[in-house]
This record gives sequence, structure tokens and C-alpha cells, in this order.
Amino acid sequence: MHASTLALVAAILAIASLHARALEPADSRELARQARQVLSSRCFQCHGPDDAAREAELRLDDRQAALAELPSGSRAVVPGDLDASALLERVTSQDPQHRMPPPKVGAALTATEVGVLREWIGQGAQYATHWAYVAPVRPALPAVTDPAWTVNGVDQFILARLDREGLKPAPPADRATILRRVALDLTGLPPTVNEMRRFGADDSPGAYERAVDAQLAKPSFGERWAALWLDLARYGDSQGYIHDPPRTIWRWRDWLIRALNDNMPYDRLSIEMLAGDLLANATASRRIATGFHRNTTNNTEGGANSEEYRHASVVDRVNTTMQVWMGTTIGCAQCHNHKYDPFTQKEYFQLFAIFNNTEDANSEPPILETARIGQEEAFVAVRALLDETRRLLDEESARTDPGLASWEASVDRAALPKEIVEVLDVAADKRSQDQTAKLLAHYRGLSPAWSARNAEVARLQAELERVSTTTLVMKEGPLRPTHVAVRGNYRNLGDVVEPGLPAALDPPTAGARLDRLALAEWLVDRRNPLTARVAVNRLWQEIFGVGIVETAEDFGNQGEPPVHPELLDWLATEYQGLDWDTKALLKLMVMSATYCQSSHTNAELAARDPYNRLLARGPRVRLSAEAVRDQALQVSGLLSAKLYGPPVHPPQPLNGLAAAFGASTDWETSHGDDRYRRALYTLWRRNLPYASMLAFDAPERSVCSVRRIRSNTPLQALVTLNDPVFVEAAQALARRILSEGGTSAESRAEFAFCQVLLRAPQPVETQRMVMLLEQARHALAEDAGNALTLATKPLGPLPSDVDAVEAAAWTVVGNVLLNLDETLSKP
Amino acid sequence: MQDPHTKSFLQRELLARQTRRHFLQSGSLGLGALTLASLLSRDTPALGATATPFAARSPHFSAKVKNVILLSMSGGPSHLDLFDYKPELVKRDGEDCPPSLMEGKPFAFTGSSAKLLGTPQVFAQHGQSGAWLSAALPQLAQVADELTFIKSLVTDQFNHGPAELLLYTGIPRTAGRPSFGSWVTYGLGSENSDLPSFIVFVSGGSLPSVGKAGWGNGFLPSVYQGVQCRTGGDPVLYLSNPEGMSRPLRRIGLDALGDLNELQAQRSGDAETATRIAQYELAFRMQAVVPEVMDLSAEPPELLADYGAEAGAASFANNCLLARRLVEKGVRFVQLYDWGWDFHGTNPNEDLRENLIKRCTQMDRPVAALIRDLKRRGLLESTLVVWMGEFGRTPFREGRTAGGGYLGRDHHPFSNTMFMAGGGLRPGTTLGATDELGFFVTEDAVGPHDVQATILHLLGLDHTRLTHHFQGRDYRLTDVSGQVIQKVLA
Repeated sequence: MHASTLALVAAILAIASLHARALEPADSRELARQARQVLSSRCFQCHGPDDAAREAELRLDDRQAALAELPSGSRAVVPGDLDASALLERVTSQDPQHRMPPPKVGAALTATEVGVLREWIGQGAQYATHWAYVAPVRPALPAVTDPAWTVNGVDQFILARLDREGLKPAPPADRATILRRVALDLTGLPPTVNEMRRFGADDSPGAYERAVDAQLAKPSFGERWAALWLDLARYGDSQGYIHDPPRTIWRWRDWLIRALNDNMPYDRLSIEMLAGDLLANATASRRIATGFHRNTTNNTEGGANSEEYRHASVVDRVNTTMQVWMGTTIGCAQCHNHKYDPFTQKEYFQLFAIFNNTEDANSEPPILETARIGQEEAFVAVRALLDETRRLLDEESARTDPGLASWEASVDRAALPKEIVEVLDVAADKRSQDQTAKLLAHYRGLSPAWSARNAEVARLQAELERVSTTTLVMKEGPLRPTHVAVRGNYRNLGDVVEPGLPAALDPPTAGARLDRLALAEWLVDRRNPLTARVAVNRLWQEIFGVGIVETAEDFGNQGEPPVHPELLDWLATEYQGLDWDTKALLKLMVMSATYCQSSHTNAELAARDPYNRLLARGPRVRLSAEAVRDQALQVSGLLSAKLYGPPVHPPQPLNGLAAAFGASTDWETSHGDDRYRRALYTLWRRNLPYASMLAFDAPERSVCSVRRIRSNTPLQALVTLNDPVFVEAAQALARRILSEGGTSAESRAEFAFCQVLLRAPQPVETQRMVMLLEQARHALAEDAGNALTLATKPLGPLPSDVDAVEAAAWTVVGNVLLNLDETLSKP
Repeated sequence: MQDPHTKSFLQRELLARQTRRHFLQSGSLGLGALTLASLLSRDTPALGATATPFAARSPHFSAKVKNVILLSMSGGPSHLDLFDYKPELVKRDGEDCPPSLMEGKPFAFTGSSAKLLGTPQVFAQHGQSGAWLSAALPQLAQVADELTFIKSLVTDQFNHGPAELLLYTGIPRTAGRPSFGSWVTYGLGSENSDLPSFIVFVSGGSLPSVGKAGWGNGFLPSVYQGVQCRTGGDPVLYLSNPEGMSRPLRRIGLDALGDLNELQAQRSGDAETATRIAQYELAFRMQAVVPEVMDLSAEPPELLADYGAEAGAASFANNCLLARRLVEKGVRFVQLYDWGWDFHGTNPNEDLRENLIKRCTQMDRPVAALIRDLKRRGLLESTLVVWMGEFGRTPFREGRTAGGGYLGRDHHPFSNTMFMAGGGLRPGTTLGATDELGFFVTEDAVGPHDVQATILHLLGLDHTRLTHHFQGRDYRLTDVSGQVIQKVLA
């Protein structure tokens, strides 16, 4: 066998063994869980909760139904009696006419799957509710072999599992690595060289904790975690569909950044986003928060039916809410009862009813005029002054206007502008509205008092725009009756339903009519089985690379089971116990010994646990699309620290195309600071999102996305090698190297390496960089024109004392450093 | 490979690698025998994707074709003025459209009444097959016997955006679904490791109504994203080295990058690092191969003339010729969006008389030339050319423009015509028919999912088995419906 095939087989065996171990039943509950998993993935499609799709009147997701006598007289499951259980006979039959599942539906069950069902029936065929639908109970911390290794509860669970697997944790990562890792994770940016120096020199106890606290306190923390929420909220600066016209909703994004920096508790954050407008004290801030669900798309295409797209928005809000807070795929129940999870189509539309009453109908309004962050007082003052000045202007107009007729009769036409004479040539009762307005404006302008007021209004209007913006908000309108939409079709309406919550999730019985606020409160109720688990899993996914439940989007019967179920429940109850303090929970994760391990691995461990699910080493994954850009700008000294504000236009290649029926998709590049803002401020046009972001796996944000699948492609290499954004960063880095890196090639190479990777290079690395420098110099010396271009386009002219060949050669080195795998990865 | 830098690089490479290997081994780390090759051979799958996502994969069953060229006429060309000849409609031109036909049906810009519009185009039968084509398509008329028409296409969307989303992503919403080409490359991989396997061109000055979703990967790994090749500037985004950086200088940089990455791989043991090293080398090869394949200047002048193409220009004609060059190189799925087929009659450019003919000259010649060219090269047997728009046009004049001087039609979801050419089909045949006014389909109605299922079938893929597990269920291009259109198959 070829070596690579051998390695692949080893990897597959390793994955299989992760699961095989899980198949040693610890107790009947575990056996029930495994049996449910097999039945769900192999049988529920035709024998599950969806009565419309049910075959042969057999239902296997419910014990009573599974044990019942079938029309054929047989019983699918007879507890304790393998021979009498028709299920076993059908799944093991060799006759394709008889075998289940039928060959057209799926392959035969594997020996392992049959084994699970055999064992389960043999032991009494006990059913257990799917784990995720039972509220988490705080587990005791397990015993471990090496308590000294552990720092907090996270480590107890991780080490206990490693002990069972016969694996040892990796040694701790060195200080430079851990600081770069934690800074990238918490703020999306590497630490500064000064921070690294201070941390490296701080031998006192608690140095790491202080460093973590410092990262959590940075404003860049909110920007990094807001980027995650932009995916969840399907945020965009355009309305979507074909014209994709602009949308102004960035003030919601700014609200989010601030709320995250203020560490608004997750329950509060959730309630404000879903129902801030319904709170007793619905401040402007709380109304802005509801922009979360105004990020749905509108179809402005001529002739589009507004009700169709309003309906689609409500569907999107139901699906997104359930994805983000509950990790459920209830969207499947839009057209029919869910095939795998206990949600009926009626329950889907009961949730729909909760969202069905807002005023927006495939439209941007309702919108709210509000202050930009930091301009709250100025906004109130300017708004008041503008209103008052407008009132005075109206008074002035009322005083001035009656004189118009006599003025018109007596005025010397020769002294008037041509366009006014043209209006006067038309009889007063024949003039268009435009003509009348033009004449009135001219006449009023003759009054100094009126002109002064009018100029003041214009000035204040401009001032208002500087301190304020508008943003889309949720607003309840009159109640709409909600019908079940037959097969999800908004024009085919079935029974009327009242607002309600899915019975399987054990909701409290509601007194008053359920509205969005009641829904939000139920979502963050401590008895809700899913919210805390889903939230901590998402944070874990960001910190450790993969969620404890890998399918962060699906905690249902078809999702992957948690790899550390007790840890998940412990973290969920911890989060609740911390009153949903997100920074505290993140701190718990990054303070753990698990997180602080070295990420280095070896062939044996890599084969045994290729995805690092067991965490016998630290997490090492490629940086997010945002971090790839932001880091390059930061280490080269270009990054703007400016927070908040309207979306910006960093360089992007000309496309030369219009949006369908719309405006050009190209933009004029922003000037000054706005050219170098963090990625999350880049204008997001849904029809053509920023290309380098898509190359690095950002979703298009047309719908909620809870997990980015990381890829590794040549198109990514082309971005970081050749995109002017990254070329400019390499040029800026080169200039810093030349001015701050000492005078020798070695010291400059070391300086450059430290700037980018926050660690000192190994001698061999320095030597290799110097070798590159010399080769580049040699190649460039032959062609001074190219050298100058390479060093200056697009960054701009070199300082007078800098040699073009030298700057270009260091640009080549900088370009290589910004493309290192280590640079692009969390260390 | 023709690129001299690459060539000299390959020769230099052996020497240089040995030298650098020596350098690295004598370095302070004392690197062992870890080589790129040994790292790559580890072949550990990346999360959510395999290390070789484009390796050619076996279809579900024997394929009739290997490649697809999908010609997407964005805007909805008028089937009634190009393919579906209705003498009765011409006879009743100007009469009221029977209200019973329009009752309860939504039209984008027309209310409950309208005047019938007979085609102003002249129709004739062509070839052995006797296919009806209007005089606006003189070149296609000459290859009529190669074409398989479907005159019974229906959809349930009457707005451009949703209708194109349905055709090219399987559902009429921007819902994060993978595009047609992404599904195909996900299913079959690529036969060329130096080129993207799903390439898109856009002509007519505008993005199609479907937007980027038409070549997006949706929930599939982003390696399956279609690559939009541009006719101006870099054909693939960021393909060119920065200005001032020559190809040999790029090579020098990549050598250093490779060495430093190898040191990192040695320390971290992370298989992703080895994959990344390989991706940078692939990017370097793409920098040579892509401009070469995009350069039409070496094509014979007669051939360029046949297509109406011109080296260096940006046109649908150029894109057709590029499509042939790409499938010749093994690119799996090439999609050409051509904007400007929405003939409402709101201005002279949207008039169904002379201006439809004018518009067709930019499409008719290159498509006919493409079919001839593929056939001449023996590629038509292994390639499927598909021509379609998102919906048909109404047999009546559009509401807003009915009183105006320009003849236009509204969006019509209830009937439409498309054609295909290539392997596995019955050339020179027509499936389906519409009523005497061309309003409704009267036999063999097929929808977007049926068309998708059929194209996948010809590629050897069972549309019900080409699935991806996401959010707890298996998704597919054809959503929950679709039947292979057996009657058009050979």
C-alpha cells in the first residue's frame, strides 16, 4: 500500500476509534442515545415525526408507537425479544425488496449500527429524550490523573477524557505564542511589540491573567466579536436581490460593538436585539438594537409582490432566531412537519405568528433617526435648534409671502435672472408647482432675514448629518392573522394559528399573548435547554477552532453529538451562573491549561486525532478573513484605530459591471484613515461582497451563518501575495524596517520578523531572510524602474533618504513574511 | 508549460533545492529529512474538505459528457420571437388577450387585460429537422440539426432575481445555497489541476440578476466557489504580481516562503501547512497557465471571425471562444452570463423588431460558432452546451408600454423555450409544445429542477444522490423535486 494511503487509513481508523469508543455503552441512557442516533439518521425520514411522510404507519421516534402492532400484524420493536422485533429482521434482510432502508432511500445499515439496535432492543428498548432538549444539569468535576496540570474546570473535563484515551496534554506554549494567540482570539489583532516586551519581562504571578484582562478591555474586542454577529445577523449595507440598492443600518453594527465592549450580559443583549422596542423603557439604543432582524433582504424589483418578500423576511426571522439561540433547524418545518426533530409545521407557524406583526413589508421603513456614537448630546442640541430655526423660517415665509403679488407687478424684469423671468412669463394660474416654488424661493431670498434663516437651516442640516444617521428598526403594527402556509407557499394558506412555542422544548405556559418580548425572555430563561449550550458552544468554536458540538448550526437529532457532553453542560451552567457574563466566560476558556498548551503535534497524534477534537494540544487554525487583513495592516503600521461610523471603501479591483438594473458595482476608494479601517467596516454589498473576504471563507451574508468552513486554496495565496491591500502593507512594513530596524541586514530581518510574528526568529530563519534579501536586491538592481514601482505603488513616494532598490527588496521580504503559514495561522 | 520562467525554474529547482536543503540541514535547527513531498503525502483531510478537493472523482454512473457550457441569457429572451412560432398569435395581433387566460395570474407590469402581440419577426424552418427559427437567428439556423429544443419550459417565478436563483441555485431565494457549477465540481472534481474547475464570465455590462449567488459555494466549502474571470484587468482576481515584481523575483520570494514554511511545518507538525505550501505552488502555476489560456491572439483569424471574437476585447463572443478553450483544458463547468434580454418595450433598445435582431447578432454568431468549433474538434460529444433564460415572455404587449411606439412583452413564467447541444442528447429534435397563442404548455411540461436533474444526469450524476449534509439534512441542487427528462436523451 502506498504511504499516503496508509496514512489516510490510519486517519480514518483514528476517527472511527473516537466514535467506536463512544459506542461502548456506559449506561442505558447512552445506549438509548446511540439507538436514537441510528434510527434518526437511517429511519426517521419515513418513520419519524412527520406524519405526512410516514410509511406503513410505522413511527420509530416514539416508544409507544414503535412497540405497537402494525397493520401487518407484526411489531417493529419487541423489548427484549430480538427474534420478534421486525425492525431487526428488516434491516438485516438480504432481499433488496424487503430490506430497510430500501436501496433507493439509503445503503444497508452497517454492522455497528445493527449492533447498537440489537443491544438496545435486547436491553429493553428504552427511549430517552434527545439530550439537547433536556435542560443541562451541572455535572460534578471528574477526577483526573494529574490535578496539578489543571487550572480550572475546563481542564478537569478535557484531562479526564485524555486520561481515558491514554493521551497526555502537550507542554505549555511559550509566552510569545500564548500572547499572540490570545490577542488574536480576543481582539482579532496581534499584540503590539511593546505589549509583547512587557509580558515577556513580567515574571510576577498573574502576568498572564493581567495580559488577558488587558485584551478583554480593548475596544478592538468589541470589533472582533461584532464580526461574528454580522454573520449571525446576515448584516449587509445593501438590500439584496437584483438592484441591491444601498441600505443604511451601520448604526446597528456600532450599537453591537459598543454593547460587546460594555460586556452587556448575553440575556440582555438577546432581549434588546429581538425585542428592544417592546421593553417598557424602549430607549433609542434599544430600538437600534432591533436592527438585528431588520437585516433581512428586500426585493425592490419592479412588479415584485411585497407580501411574498414580507413573508420571506418573517420566515428568515424565525429561522435565524432558532439558529442563533437554539441551534435548531426548525426551518425544515416550514413546508412539512420536521422529519427528524419534534417540531410540527403548525408549531413553525406559531413562531411565525410572533414575528408576523411588524410594520415593515419588503420596505426599508420603519427607520429611526439617531445620534452617531459619541454625538448624543450634539444630536439632541442640533436637532432642537434645527426644528426651532425651521419654525422661525416658516414664520418668516408667512410674513414675506403675501407681498409676492405686488412685487411681481412692480419688479424690473431686466434685473432678474433669466429663469425667473421665464416663470413670470407664465400666467400665475398656469405655473407648475416647480415654477411656483422657484419664484417663491427667489422672492423670499430678497428678504435678508429670510435668507439668513434659510442659510442657518442649511448649515444645521449639514451639521445634523455629521452627528446623526438613520437606521432600520422593528416596530409592531396591527396584528395580522397567521395561517399555516401549505408547503411553505405564502399564497396557499391553511388553518389560522395563534402564537406559540414548540411543545418539545417544554416552554412555560404563557398567560398573555406571546409577543417577541415573551419569546426573547423564554429564550434566555434558565430552564431553556438550548440557549446557554448553543452560546457557549459558539464561543468555544471561536477559541478552540471547532465547537464541542461540531455542527454548531444543529443540536438536533441529526447534529453531531458533543465530543465533551459534560463539559458543554458545565460551561452552559457556568455561563448562567455568571449571569451571562461573556467576557468572564471567554476568560475562563483562555485561562485554561487546555488553551495554553503548545499547538505543536506529531505524526502519531495527528493521525490519532486529526481535527484536535480531544485537545491534547493547543488550537492551531487559519485566521479569519477579517483577521488576515487586519493583522497585515496592524503589523505594517497602517491600521486605523478609528471605531464606528459609516461603511468604508478600501481598494478593490474594478469590476466594470453594474448590478442587475442597478448602479455600478465599483466604488471610489476611501481616502485617509478610511482606507485602512478594520475589515468589519468594509461596505458589504450582498450581490458582490468584498472579494478577498469571500476568498477567506466569509459567507455572503444573505442568510444567517453560524459556522465558517475553513478552506485552503490558491486563490487565497493570490490575495495575500498580490492584492494591493497586502502589497501596500508590505511596502509600509519595508519602510518601518529601514527606519526602525537598525542598519545591518540581520538586525533588520530580526526586526521585521518580530513585527509580524511577535517572536524572535531562529538563526536559520534570519539567514534565510537575509538570503532572500540579497537575491531580491540582485534581481532589482538590474531594473531601477521596477524597484521604484514595487516600493511605491500604491503606498506613495519614498522618504527622500530611502533607496528604491533597498525599499523594494525589503518589500519582497515583507510580502513573504505576510504570507507565512505561521502569520496566517493562530499559533 | 510554455512559460520560460517556469521552465527555467524547474531546471533550477532541482539544483536550488539541493543547495537549500543543504543550507537548511546545516542550519541551527539541523533539519532532518522532512521534505515537502513527505509532508504532502500525509494527505490528512482538512476540516470540511479533502486535501485534494478537485481530484477528478467518479460519477454515480457512466457519464455522457464531461463538461458543461451553460449560456445564461439574463433577462428572459422572448421565446415567441425566436423559437416558438405562433401563426395564430400573429393572426390575432392587437386583439384583447382572453381574460380567462390572465385571470388570477400575476404579471410584473401588466394588469388584468392586455392586447395580443404577434411576432414581428419572420420565421422559417431549417435543416433536416425542420426546426422553426426566426430570422433574428440566421447562424443558429445553420446548426439547427445539432440542437435539441425544449419548448415546454415552465417556472413559478416571474421576477428576474428569484427566477435566476431558482435556475442556478435550486431555490428562488437568496438563501445561501450552492450554485449549479459548485454542485457539479463538488460532485466531479476537475480534470485540470492548474485551473479553477468552475469558471464564470459576465458580458453585457451588468451582473446577472442572480448576482454572486450564481457562482457562490453556499454552504459547500469555498474551494467550490465559481471563479469569475474578467475580460479586462486580471482574468482571475489578483492573478498578476504587484507592479514591479517580475516572475523570477516572485519565484525567489516563493522559494523563501516555501523554506520558511517548511521550518514551520517541521515545528508545528500541522498538515495544513503542507497544504498551504502546495497551494502557493499551484497559485504560481496558475499565474502562468491562466493568462495563456485566456489569450486569444494565437487563434486563427478565420476562427476569430467565425465567432465574431477579437483578441483583447470584452464580449460574449470572446467568452464563447474562451469557453471552448477552457473545456478543452478540462475545466468542468463554464457559465456565460449575458445581460440584456429583457425586452419590455420601454425604450428603442427593447423593441422586438430591428433591435431584437441587433441584439441577437451578438449572440447568434458566437453560439453557432461554438457548436461548430466543438464539433470539429470532437469535443461536442463530451461537452454539453445549454442555452436558456430565466423565463419566457408574454404573448401580449406589456402593460406599461402597450400604448407606446416600441413593441415589448412582459415576464412570462408559464411557457419558455431552451435548447441544448452535445453528448447524450437526440439532436435535431424538439420536446414539448405550447397552445396556439403560446400562453400555456400543452405537452411535456418541465421545470427548472427537471432541467437541472437532466444536466446532472448527462454528467453521470444522480441528482437525488448529489447531496451535502448541512443543518441536519441532505441538501441537493434540485431541492425536493426534479425528474430527468428522459425524452430528450439519446
